[in-house]
Amino acid sequence: MNSRPDPNESENPMNTPDLKVDALVVGGGIAGMQSALDLADQGYRVALVEKEASIGGKMIMLSKVFPTLDCCSCITTPKMSAVAHHDNITLLTTCDVQALHTNGNGGYTAKVQQNPRYIDADACTGCRQCEYVCPIDLPASYDLDMGATRAIRVPFSTAVPQKAIIDIEHCLLCGKCEKACPTDAVDFSQQPFTFNIETNAVVLATGFQTTPTDAKREYGGGKLLNVIDALSMERLLAPTGPYGHILRPSDGKEPESIAYVQCAGSRDQSLGVPYCSRVCCMYAIKQAMLLSGALPMADITIYYMDIRTFGKGYEQFYQNAKAMGIEFVHGKVARIDEDSEHNPVIRVETIENGRIAERTHDLVVLSVGMLPGENLGPIFDVQPADDGFAAIPDPTLSPSATGHPGVFVTGTASGPMDIVDSIIMAGAAAAQAAAYLETMRSSVAAGPTAIPEVAHV
Amino acid sequence: MSEKDIRIGAYVCYCGGNISDVVDCEQVAETLRGLPNVVVVRTDLSMCSDAGQSLIEEDIKEKGVNRVVVGACAPSLHEVTFRKAVARAGLNPYLYHHVCLREQDSWVHQSNPDEATAKAGRLMLAGIAKARMLEQLDTIRLEAEQHALVIGGGIAGLRTAWDAAQRGIRVTLIEKSPFLGGHMAQLETIFPTGENARQALHELIEKVVSHFLVTVYTNAELTSARGYMGDFRVTITAQPRGVAEDFAHFDEAAAACPVEVPDDFNYGLTTRKAIYLRYPDAIPNTPAIDWKACTRCGECKKVNGTGIDLDGKPQTIDLTVGAVVVATGFQPYQPREGEFGYGQFPEVVTLPQMIRLMTMQEGNGKLTWNGHPVNNIALIHCVGSREIPGVHEPQEDGRVNDYCSRICCTATLQMTNELHERFPYINLFDLHEDIRTYSRGHEDIYTEASKNGVRFLRFHGDERPEVTAAPPDDTSPLLVRVKDYLTWGKELEVPADLVVLATGMMPNPVSDIVKLLKITEGNDRFLLEVHPKLQPVETAVPGVILAGTAQGPMNIQETCSAASAAAAKVGVLLGQGQVSLEPFVARVNHDLCDGSGQCVAVCAYEDAIALEPVLVDGKTVQKAVVSPANCVGCGVCVSVCPNHAIDVQGWTLEQYEAMVDAITADLPKLEVVE
Amino acid sequence: MTQDKEAARARTAMLKKLREEHKDTIEHTRVLLKKQQEIRRIISQAMKDGAGTVPEIAGASGLPAHEVLWHVTAMKKYDLVTETGRDGDYYRYALVEEASQ
Ligand SMILES: Cc1cc2nc3c(=O)[nH]c(=O)nc-3n(C[C@H](O)[C@H](O)[C@H](O)COP(=O)(O)OP(=O)(O)OC[C@H]3O[C@@H](n4cnc5c(N)ncnc54)[C@H](O)[C@@H]3O)c2cc1C
Ligand SMILES: Cc1cc2nc3c(=O)[nH]c(=O)nc-3n(C[C@H](O)[C@H](O)[C@H](O)COP(=O)(O)OP(=O)(O)OC[C@H]3O[C@@H](n4cnc5c(N)ncnc54)[C@H](O)[C@@H]3O)c2cc1C
Repeated sequence: MNSRPDPNESENPMNTPDLKVDALVVGGGIAGMQSALDLADQGYRVALVEKEASIGGKMIMLSKVFPTLDCCSCITTPKMSAVAHHDNITLLTTCDVQALHTNGNGGYTAKVQQNPRYIDADACTGCRQCEYVCPIDLPASYDLDMGATRAIRVPFSTAVPQKAIIDIEHCLLCGKCEKACPTDAVDFSQQPFTFNIETNAVVLATGFQTTPTDAKREYGGGKLLNVIDALSMERLLAPTGPYGHILRPSDGKEPESIAYVQCAGSRDQSLGVPYCSRVCCMYAIKQAMLLSGALPMADITIYYMDIRTFGKGYEQFYQNAKAMGIEFVHGKVARIDEDSEHNPVIRVETIENGRIAERTHDLVVLSVGMLPGENLGPIFDVQPADDGFAAIPDPTLSPSATGHPGVFVTGTASGPMDIVDSIIMAGAAAAQAAAYLETMRSSVAAGPTAIPEVAHV
Repeated sequence: MSEKDIRIGAYVCYCGGNISDVVDCEQVAETLRGLPNVVVVRTDLSMCSDAGQSLIEEDIKEKGVNRVVVGACAPSLHEVTFRKAVARAGLNPYLYHHVCLREQDSWVHQSNPDEATAKAGRLMLAGIAKARMLEQLDTIRLEAEQHALVIGGGIAGLRTAWDAAQRGIRVTLIEKSPFLGGHMAQLETIFPTGENARQALHELIEKVVSHFLVTVYTNAELTSARGYMGDFRVTITAQPRGVAEDFAHFDEAAAACPVEVPDDFNYGLTTRKAIYLRYPDAIPNTPAIDWKACTRCGECKKVNGTGIDLDGKPQTIDLTVGAVVVATGFQPYQPREGEFGYGQFPEVVTLPQMIRLMTMQEGNGKLTWNGHPVNNIALIHCVGSREIPGVHEPQEDGRVNDYCSRICCTATLQMTNELHERFPYINLFDLHEDIRTYSRGHEDIYTEASKNGVRFLRFHGDERPEVTAAPPDDTSPLLVRVKDYLTWGKELEVPADLVVLATGMMPNPVSDIVKLLKITEGNDRFLLEVHPKLQPVETAVPGVILAGTAQGPMNIQETCSAASAAAAKVGVLLGQGQVSLEPFVARVNHDLCDGSGQCVAVCAYEDAIALEPVLVDGKTVQKAVVSPANCVGCGVCVSVCPNHAIDVQGWTLEQYEAMVDAITADLPKLEVVE
Repeated sequence: MTQDKEAARARTAMLKKLREEHKDTIEHTRVLLKKQQEIRRIISQAMKDGAGTVPEIAGASGLPAHEVLWHVTAMKKYDLVTETGRDGDYYRYALVEEASQ
């Protein structure tokens, strides 16, 4: 048995320069958290490395989640909390894996850099007094720039850990936060810190990105104020959203007519994204339903090519949306422009009657697709396939195994998928990592001649 | 602890708006402030978040709170979350009570916020009344048998067995039929990789059957089950195979067999004998007797006296296992007689049949069916899927298949591509509602089909195509009529020499297993998980886990992921050799028990409560004794006990009475601040 | 005592180095802050006479409405502005001193 790292030190690896674990999970979105929990609950020791200041990934930004319409934090935050409190999990935020080497015993050594928060994480209580005195307001990426944050901040209200971080690129170094901090936690002397993690298995859960809103010139190239992406709409719908209401960005008007443009970044050869992103039909329908609850008088239209509600209970969800009066228009949107009041004007060829129509809405939401996140080639030697997501040698029978023994990939790092599928796949990666750990253990027990069998066959 | 030492913390959760959009949580909190024993009242946007849980922990540590009540979502979601928080702060986790303000209040009274707020107040008051009476309890810890029973020998069961065994857990896998592999064995080239299905399947089967921790029984079914997570007692009944492993005269025996039945491996397109191998290299590679078909005439035995036994008896195997994985798979939807002309015209086949038919067609020359050349094929999607209640004819149970079967679109397009490659002269017509090639690599199959010149026609769900006989002088025997929305709603007629119905997936009928294991089916008849995100492969019965298409339509890749996730859950439950069960079980007060045994008579659970000799004042008397591991805490014994000697721990009669009193009391009276 | 002094000196040196290292970003943020303060002054001026909707504040201040929305949102988050109700399709905002009066 390896020596167990002190969980109390998990926020401050400066004191634990070298960590020995059974499994290293890279990425603290829903997939990484679930893999970490499924391994830790089996008794394995896990290090979870997240590059941001909080775990939670994209999911924590969402409003309510299909198909159950649970409030997203009801699903995510308890998992975040469970990760933070688990005796078998060492949580390492603001950390990057810089290199991964085989260690010759069937395991790996990861070189990890922790980037400074400029905050003594042990002292910080997350009271946000520093944030209130910071003089500069900055666009908050958590709210897709619609809301504001400051150069020193707790990333968001449900962040785990609840610790402040200084955005040094936007800091004036004025020192106001230092004076305001009741626990003297501000520490400008922090430096990037590098340490090694010894591990036997690796689970990569580095997630996805969404299509940039300026990707498509025909849709305004990101310049039309009232053409937003679906992630922005998630923030508008969330109870913690920037405006506290659903308002359009050009002038703060509550929209009366909202349109969804499906496949805005998927199934589009012109963008080099031929594949389907799997989640956009469902999230658009979900948002439309939530909007008709929040704005009962609003007209909501979804322009689509095919409605792909394929998951368990999803088709029924779609039929409910139709019954609620949400308008589904079969047609590919050719262009979006705006009128003098910044109202977006959609030009669409409706396939039902073959006519070209122009329709004006108050707000247009682009159902942006899922693009690959981090390229796992350079550091982890897991090469991207043609679509940019991790290449899987045997996707049929071993969907989470990479070519390397003991290295697995899960969640949206291995292709577009929703939360339900990410969670299932996270369990699968955990099962295979566990199998790998056990076969390694028994081969060690069997003596040096035994060849460790690869678990992911 | 005396009444006055009880310090209750009460928390009302907004649930991110789910509750607070309807219920005025601040007003509810106000109602609770100043109530006897209530020392802290708080609201929070999301109590289950780390920050929300920290509030509770701090109040326990700093304000001396020793009973916690949270009003939030249903207890099935987060009761355990809060118990853990309470335990982290050093308090016994059962000094916690969970009040449901969402499913039981805000969600069902959306149109009546005032009443909902009042109801929330009463529910919280009842919770607080109970909290005053909570007592410390301990979970029941038991040794867990590190052995899992996997039911179903399709790809799902095999993949779960493999992962669990690799993890170090013993596995017994039972397969109802005489051969392993399930439906995957009936596929040929599979999407999206283009691999050969049986080759991939056989590799895994070989590994599973040769793993030292795995035991496989074919022809075997679960016939009884009792017990609980960690300690299920199950009986497996295995029918004899009828043929010895070393039997070497299969071809002669089959030739001698006079019984001919439709071959279900080829979905009835061909026939086979009562002694059969599913396919030449089926695993196990020993032929089996189809007992339903066999007349026991003995002709096969005459070929070679030994090696065939028509009088074998079923074998029963008793096992103790810690967990049960249900991987009983699916069956393709069987169209009704006359549905899209199925059973009415011989030229109408299902997609599973078409896959078999393609392997029976030799070479790449000309495709013929029923002796006729095939020049036009129409493929119709969503047969037995995406049906609309009130529009489509329900099945015997009154339900329609209103779900999407998710594999058929890609499987159909894959079929068109294969047809195009082998028989490029054939005109292909694809009739669909939506094309759902959603997964990695699937869209490419669609693109290829478009490039191949497949003609796509699109219909509305409530205007499905009609398959009719063509006029006698037409070149093709059938006409498919469709209102096509790719040509703006034109009524079109498509000539067809062959119509392929892309039939959906239905669960294998497993009502016996559902009953034995006390699990549940959803409205779509597939087995039901607890929650798709929180417990996606677990059933409501602890220790009973789902894998693969028994739970819902999936392709092979998804099935393998789900099966591995099931194995992870097996690892979590059994990996450490111990399980803990909730302490909500019956408890007998021996001072009040007079040994009447009425409780024993009504108890529906084996070995949960029994009369046993107990020493009282030097005399041995019969008293009821509970076996906590077998008790489910249903409370039936409580209701019949004439002396009120039994209670369910954590849910005592006294606690219920206090809750009922609190709910029925006049609100204003309760609001009086001391 | 001397130890404290030494620590203070080290700290000053460290901060100096950090300032030097981040010279460009600090300058950039300083410019941003200046602009922001100016806009805030204009918005506060426009809101002086009471609550307003975003288009009203934009009209009174001459700033584009979407910019006004962003600043009002930021000010609301940090308790400088409060929402006071609705006006047709818009919400009304007021400076916090105003609102509390
Ligand atoms: C608008 C929208 C709405 C949606 N709505 C729903 C819905 O209602 N229901 C549903 O089921 N799904 C929904 N989804 C899909 C859902 O968001 C994803 O399925 C899910 O978030 C995927 O989780 P993940 O963990 O794979 O990836 P991510 O959430 O992207 O997490 C990856 C994590 O890894 C970290 N990371 C990345 N690289 C590194 C590195 N090198 N080192 C360390 N850490 C790293 C990231 O910071 C991040 O925390 C929606 C998606 C969108 C875009
Ligand atoms: C026409 C068609 C084409 C397809 N093509 C593809 C493709 O190209 N690519 C792809 O990825 N997927 C494809 N699929 C999907 C694929 O077939 C399934 O995903 C996969 O076979 C599901 O495996 P399973 O183990 O869950 O179920 P099954 O294969 O049904 O296995 C279940 C097993 O359990 C046994 N069983 C049932 N009840 C009991 C009981 N009570 N006790 C014991 N045993 C029991 C059954 O006998 C069976 O052996 C296709 C499906 C169809 C219908």
